[in-house]
Amino acid sequence: MQNAKDSFYVALRNRLAVINPARTVTLRAVQRPSIMVEEAEPPQVQLANDIFVLRWRAETVNLQLPSVLTQTTCEIRYATSGSQQNAGLDRGRALTEMDKELLAMLTPLQTQKLNFTQTPAAVMQTFVFWTEPTLSPVEVLRDQLSRTATVTVFAFEEQGE
Amino acid sequence: MNTSIRNANESGQRIADALLRTTAGTAATLLVPPAAGDGTDAGQLGIDSPQLQQLPLAPAVFRRTRATMQEGEEPRYELLISASAVQQQVSTLQLNSADGLFVMAAGVVVGGGLFQIESWSSSQVLGQACLYRLQLRAAEPQSLTSLT
Repeated sequence: MQNAKDSFYVALRNRLAVINPARTVTLRAVQRPSIMVEEAEPPQVQLANDIFVLRWRAETVNLQLPSVLTQTTCEIRYATSGSQQNAGLDRGRALTEMDKELLAMLTPLQTQKLNFTQTPAAVMQTFVFWTEPTLSPVEVLRDQLSRTATVTVFAFEEQGE
Repeated sequence: MNTSIRNANESGQRIADALLRTTAGTAATLLVPPAAGDGTDAGQLGIDSPQLQQLPLAPAVFRRTRATMQEGEEPRYELLISASAVQQQVSTLQLNSADGLFVMAAGVVVGGGLFQIESWSSSQVLGQACLYRLQLRAAEPQSLTSLT
């Protein structure tokens, strides 16, 4: 399942770079599209603003098919407090913009599965595919608005995985 | 209101350094990413080692601030660090502020143990930071071997 999770993140990151090239973040001295895998970065005390954070949750395995089908729930959490220029009064609009970017990132609902432990990444034989997102109600914490989108990611296990 | 003019000087830092050294002063090591970060896919997926730099900070005082009274409750720690030591590292890394240094830190090593930074604040004298106070939490035990 790790290859599927890696492929999902890289697909979303590359799509975000095209959808909104200005949405970038500097993490560990590297400027990159503003999306990260929570478990692959140093622990964060607070949900950072203006970045999509992927958190992997429940995982199930279906053994009834010719190939093993795994499915994992991915929570994509994001928050914003608007811009300094507008004194934060545009935070609702900023969150809507992130909603829109997220929906664009998740379309199409599939990507090629890759193995990133090799350089360059090795193309695998199957695809990773996922459901349409379920968006949670907006959470309001003082001047911060946040939301969690939930997606179920599917992938077939291949030889050697 | 005190409107007298007092020029900023390093007296506050010197006093803080002397206090830290004399009250069981120790050394801490801040773990920060290298100046040239890993921009590869593997670097963003937890495959490559982050090659963290180890920045020594001394003098410092390390102490537990909350006893573990209930099951599951994590002990909290506090690290008081000399502002002069922090400023030296800020200059070395060409950062704008100490905040930038703490934001990018992946943890602190004190006495061989790894701690995560929860928050930080500074004490100032005449507008200059003389001491930084870091709230720490013990990191969960980590495996000695890597999967990749």
